[in-house]
Amino acid sequence: MSDNNSLKTQKLIIGLFSILLLVVLIIVAGVEMKLSRKPEVIVDISGDNKRCVTCHTEKGIALKAIDHWKQSLHAQQNISCTDCHTAKKGDFDAFYCPESDFLVAKHPTPKDCAECHAQQVDEFADSKHAHQFWLIKNADRSIFENPISTKHGCEQCHAIGNVWPDQSVGECDACHPKHTFSKAVARQPETCGECHVGPDHPHIEIYLESKHGNIFRSQEKKLDLNFSSKDGKPIPIDIPVCTTCHMDGNETQPMTHNVSARLAWESQAAWSFRTVWMADKLGDWKMKRSRMEDICKSCHSPEFVDSYLLTADLTNLQYNEIRRLMVGWNKKLTEKGIIKRLEKDGKFYSDVLLNGWDEVPEILMYHAWHHEGRRFRHGAEMMGADYTQWHGIWELQHDMVEMFTFAAEHGDPEAKKWVESTDPIKFAPYALYDIPGNAFGINVLSNTVPYVYKAYPDYWDRIKANVEKAYQNNVLTQNQFAFWIKRFENKEHYIGTKYKADSVMKKYTDLDSIDTKAFTKEAVQLELPGKPFWNW
Amino acid sequence: MNAKIRMWFEDRIPFNREKTAETTKELLNEPIPKHMKNWFYALGVTPLILFCFMVVTGIMLTFYYIPSPEKAFDSVRYITEEVSMGFWIRGIHRWASNLMVIAIFLHVIRVFFTRGYRKPRELNWILGILMLGATFTLCFTGYSLVNNQLSYWASTVGTNMIKEIPLIGPSVLALLRGGENVTANTLTRFYNLHILIMPALLFVLIGLHMLLVRLHGVAKLEDDDKEETYPFFPEHFYHGLVIMFLLLTLISALTVILPPGLGEPADPTVTPAHIKPEWYFFAVYSLLKFIPLQAGIILIMALVIAATFWPFIDEWIRKKKPNLKTHYVVGSLTIIIFLFFTVYEILVH
Amino acid sequence: MENSDNPQKTTRRKFIEKLFVGGGLLASALLLLRHGVAYVFPSMDSPPMRKLLIGRTGDLKSGEAKEVQVGDNLLYLVRDENGFKVLSSVCTHLGCKVNWEAHRNRFYCPCHKGIFDASGNVIEGPPPRALDEYKVAAENNLIYIWIENKSGSSV
Repeated sequence: MSDNNSLKTQKLIIGLFSILLLVVLIIVAGVEMKLSRKPEVIVDISGDNKRCVTCHTEKGIALKAIDHWKQSLHAQQNISCTDCHTAKKGDFDAFYCPESDFLVAKHPTPKDCAECHAQQVDEFADSKHAHQFWLIKNADRSIFENPISTKHGCEQCHAIGNVWPDQSVGECDACHPKHTFSKAVARQPETCGECHVGPDHPHIEIYLESKHGNIFRSQEKKLDLNFSSKDGKPIPIDIPVCTTCHMDGNETQPMTHNVSARLAWESQAAWSFRTVWMADKLGDWKMKRSRMEDICKSCHSPEFVDSYLLTADLTNLQYNEIRRLMVGWNKKLTEKGIIKRLEKDGKFYSDVLLNGWDEVPEILMYHAWHHEGRRFRHGAEMMGADYTQWHGIWELQHDMVEMFTFAAEHGDPEAKKWVESTDPIKFAPYALYDIPGNAFGINVLSNTVPYVYKAYPDYWDRIKANVEKAYQNNVLTQNQFAFWIKRFENKEHYIGTKYKADSVMKKYTDLDSIDTKAFTKEAVQLELPGKPFWNW
Repeated sequence: MNAKIRMWFEDRIPFNREKTAETTKELLNEPIPKHMKNWFYALGVTPLILFCFMVVTGIMLTFYYIPSPEKAFDSVRYITEEVSMGFWIRGIHRWASNLMVIAIFLHVIRVFFTRGYRKPRELNWILGILMLGATFTLCFTGYSLVNNQLSYWASTVGTNMIKEIPLIGPSVLALLRGGENVTANTLTRFYNLHILIMPALLFVLIGLHMLLVRLHGVAKLEDDDKEETYPFFPEHFYHGLVIMFLLLTLISALTVILPPGLGEPADPTVTPAHIKPEWYFFAVYSLLKFIPLQAGIILIMALVIAATFWPFIDEWIRKKKPNLKTHYVVGSLTIIIFLFFTVYEILVH
Repeated sequence: MENSDNPQKTTRRKFIEKLFVGGGLLASALLLLRHGVAYVFPSMDSPPMRKLLIGRTGDLKSGEAKEVQVGDNLLYLVRDENGFKVLSSVCTHLGCKVNWEAHRNRFYCPCHKGIFDASGNVIEGPPPRALDEYKVAAENNLIYIWIENKSGSSV
């Protein structure tokens, strides 16, 4: 009996364990292992292309080009050598491969790319990337710079709009490097930064010093920029790169290779003006701005977008007033014969807008447009505070002071009057734009500094008149003007005069006077016993 | 009809049914001493069950495994990550191997301290030592087959030790590696050893081991010759069944909690900072850090020989000093030393 | 428990015990088997497909066929009145390679004289069904086929 019992117990134990096993096995079935790497894609190379690849590999010619191609999406889709390097007899770039009877195209052009990517090529050709302005308006550079210097200088970047013998326009591999033609590389901000860099349009620097660029840097390793934005899906990355705002699509905007489709200003131009580029296809500037706003609003609140962009717009308009001054004075000095235009055989090689290079006011006017004038505006548009401030308005004002000094030294009485004036308002010899408050919040103390806020009781009325005029001139939208008026009517709130922060202010003025005492004692009042080595 | 079919087969396969049934019955009724009801005495069957797991899962692994240096790692990765249930099969194989080593250790300890090897069962002890050797060889070669950084370098270091065996060392090394260095030949040789030669050897040894057990009958306790017995079937059989389910459950759970890893693919140009063998080799690995390599190898060989012939040594000592319980001292000392070096090795890093 | 003299109760208890032990054993054995089978059988999930460029619409006129090589596979791109088709060159009979005979406008299998028309349908001979077809996508003037994305790791 007891034996039987222990047998029965054992049986039960077996049953128990088998059910336990059952449970574990069910769990096992639900477990999935993480893949430690993505499966490689096999590249099939066959036919003529196999001959190309085999021979190139044997001869060691352009091996990396083949390696790069193998990583491309092209390679995975069997789009290989002969599909792009195809040539007909008589093509401008056709040549016989010395080792075979293949007629090969040396330079695949946008026309070749258009065979599959017609939309992209067309969009590109309608963009300002493809515009030939640098050839149309090159009077200055052709003289000031010699041709060899421009080959690997300006031409290298402007080749993005190369005009080919087959009439196609563009250089796709400027952004999509051959032969991977990688979307990820094209989206890398530094790709844009290959050209959009330096004193005349430091866009990569502006981007990298902006919040956008800073977050991009911190998240860069986690980002996969190799995505398609064609299908009206949400933006798959959490921070914008250059293409996010200027090219990629989101739920509301289609992806475009026309970088001009979302830009409302010609703020690279000598005068800021609302763009009319390809208006028949792309719509007016308001349409283009609304496209950009659609992208902005993927991440930002409408209120922020409105106030940020309106402030940037007013900065663009403010630039025009400074430009007006520079141009006016150059004209005046030219008319008075103080400075002269470049001229040969009755033909002028400079004009008052695209000036000569040998006289101070001309150089100042050029810089005030092409360098600091752009930095001032582009910094304001893309959150590059440093470029609007120190590389922008600060240098613009210096250009102005220098120009007046030059004119005064050369006997201009108005300039002399300006130079000798001690009125602090002399630095604003042009009309002003402004907006109550800023895009980021309410600063209770921000009204305490600007001289004009305090010295001119009619300041805001004057500004209002200017903004209203801009609206009437159709460079601000009705909504923008209404937005401005709303702030104007409630400006005590936005400027902060409505609020009191005296105790906070006192804390910091007290701390400041302690600082002042400290440096006065440590530095200002210090007299060293050893005499200077050079006697005045 | 049934009878006709039966006749048809009996004509063609002439075996004696009555005799077979009798033998089966005899086998199943094998008398088992009462003390075997204690679970500690079922440790002999545990490695056997685990060996069966290993055979089944091992065969399944060869469905996908490719023994070439280029593809070995990737095929293991494929099994683990992509084949349906692959991680489980590989996990069972891996965990069963570890548990098998533990179970064998426990079985050896049990046999040693109960002096189960005493006359007339000395040869079975020697068979056991051979099986232990075969198991270690299987472990070592199996670990190498993964061909990741750790296992590649472990096999390099491990085989290099063989070189130090006096006289035959270099030849054995060349034979094992199939060349001067660890190459594709080494991998295929290890593969052969692991899936064919060693399992076959182990299979034969297990057969002999069990045959001897059966021929001798299960050893009774040393001081109780008149111990009661009970038939093998069903109770002891149930013991085995319970152990099997327990092990399968345990191993499957372990596989889910600690899935078999992959590591980095083997790179013959870079030795990783910390290479380590499997834990059961820690003691040897650690010992060799303290004494010169050649001396270490000779010491290990001496120990192996002593262990192999321990039943005779023990008997000899007993004849000289009947009252000395040598095996307690030697056994405890061995365990302490083994544990010391193993734990030391774990703690150093 | 030992003294339970209610035979009915004992039977029921025995039945439940049997169900417990037997059911557990059976279920776990079946699941073990399922896992094993799942492991051994190759994955039947349809693998990811990828698009391959294989030609341009200008390459051939209606009624023509063109050999296309994709990796190690020989395929035929044919054009009939309904558009483009991509046919496997593997005879559906016993796996020989069929040849395109342009002068007769047919595919011919030399092994057992199977004959297919230009659209891959069987005309004559032993092949049991038409030549296998690949999914074709024409975009603009480009012809793509969809094939399995062989991953390098499926060894």
